[in-house]
Amino acid sequence: MTVRTKPPASRKATALPKARRTVPGLIGAVSIAATVGWIVLGGILAEAGVRAGWWEPDVLPAPSEILPVTAELLRSPDFAPDALRTLQELVFSCLFGVAAGLIVGVGFWKAPGVGRVFEPYLVSFYAVPLVLFYPVSIVLIGINQWSVITLASIMTAVPVVLNTWMGLRSVPPVYLRLAASIRCSPAQTLFRVAMPAAAPYVFAGVRLGVVYALIGTIAMEFTTAQAGLGYQIRYLYESFDAVGMYAYIVVVLGASVLLTAVLEGAERLLLRRRTVR
Amino acid sequence: MTATVSQPPAGGRVLAGSVGVAVAAVVLWEIGSHLSFVIPPPLDTARALAADLTDALFLVNLRETMLAATAAFLLSAAIGGLIGLGLGLSRVARLLLSPIVTAMNGVPKIVLYPILLPVFHLGYGSKIVMGVLFGLFPVLINVMTGVQQIPSVYWRLARSVRAGRWQTLRHILLPAIRGPLLTGVRLAISLSLVGVVLSEFFATKYGLGRVVLRSYSAGDYPNMMGTILLLIAVSFVLSLLLWRMERRVR
Repeated sequence: MTVRTKPPASRKATALPKARRTVPGLIGAVSIAATVGWIVLGGILAEAGVRAGWWEPDVLPAPSEILPVTAELLRSPDFAPDALRTLQELVFSCLFGVAAGLIVGVGFWKAPGVGRVFEPYLVSFYAVPLVLFYPVSIVLIGINQWSVITLASIMTAVPVVLNTWMGLRSVPPVYLRLAASIRCSPAQTLFRVAMPAAAPYVFAGVRLGVVYALIGTIAMEFTTAQAGLGYQIRYLYESFDAVGMYAYIVVVLGASVLLTAVLEGAERLLLRRRTVR
Repeated sequence: MTATVSQPPAGGRVLAGSVGVAVAAVVLWEIGSHLSFVIPPPLDTARALAADLTDALFLVNLRETMLAATAAFLLSAAIGGLIGLGLGLSRVARLLLSPIVTAMNGVPKIVLYPILLPVFHLGYGSKIVMGVLFGLFPVLINVMTGVQQIPSVYWRLARSVRAGRWQTLRHILLPAIRGPLLTGVRLAISLSLVGVVLSEFFATKYGLGRVVLRSYSAGDYPNMMGTILLLIAVSFVLSLLLWRMERRVR
């Protein structure tokens, strides 16, 4: 989760890359195949378990029962409002959080004294404990999407701030001296020199932030809300509709795996383009 | 967390500034409480918390949450550390498992709670498992990456002095990964606590999560705020201590 503050580029430098470099495509294919294999294996186990009566179907229904309901759910008109609600919360939190995180991160770089004063708070609220403020947020703002968006934005912003700041601090000083010597304006120094140099850190922060936004949004909807995918899971659980609940769980799991894969892919692409240049 | 930048000694001025931020937050909170009736004043909140801390039932709830969180944290550190070590050492294991670990890490674990509940029952079991699910991954991924990034010269050194497996682990591997390990442990502490409290929001007999939600529905905001701040303070202090340790290590 909150982990890789250091971008993976540094890993490449230390690992022995010989075998990897020769067949990166094959290695990726094996990894993907293994992942799909694990998921299929889990599905088969779940199916076998229900059929053999290891557990009651209302605890964990058979995948053969859940998947058709999931497919139906995706096409049903009831699904769209909740999915759109969650999507809206997610998109707004990511936009606000990343924008605020970048601005504050750059600000801390410019004024390191201020940064160090705030650092202990950022580090220790990194970032999931903020979910605990959700009851406060719904008292202040009300049970609507904005109480979720407010907290999820802050949760997104924290890793972006810390990583942007750290990335900018780790820009080699010679880059900045070069920028100064060719008389770059402060804006040019920031956007053309410092930010591109810090990009792997910044992107790692954005990736963490987006994952936090998803985790936070779903967790808050699950706690109390009027709509959203997390809310539906809670609602269906409380109305003892196991199959319906699992259909929503499958949707949330699928969406989060997809999001992780997209972010991972984007990060790889960014780092590859950097090494080529 | 800082990589190589030389840190000027974090003197008293930074500390004073950080305390100043907290004071400013309380002042803003006080002003806010005069503007909106739903915001409990800081003093009322402190009083409610002080009263709670002498209340026998509250202390039972507090103990329940802290015991579950401690158990969840210890389990996440142990399980995450072992799996991370295995994945860090074995390239084949990494190849087969690291994508699913990354994917699981990005999953909102709370949606698994309805699955855990019937399996591990209402009491400690399901809370602790939820706390472990929250706290496991930071330790696992940090240890895995840490082990992977150990310079190969360390391994050659271990071989050249004919260190046994245990000696290599104790004297080379653990010191080499203590930075990432501490980061993982720091994150796991607050995440296990959050996992436990979130499951207490959902369904439990005792626990601070339940206290928070009950005060919320009763409109007893000073009590709710006080309990939340108590939880935040616990995770804040522990994270801060570990963070300072981390900085000394690097």
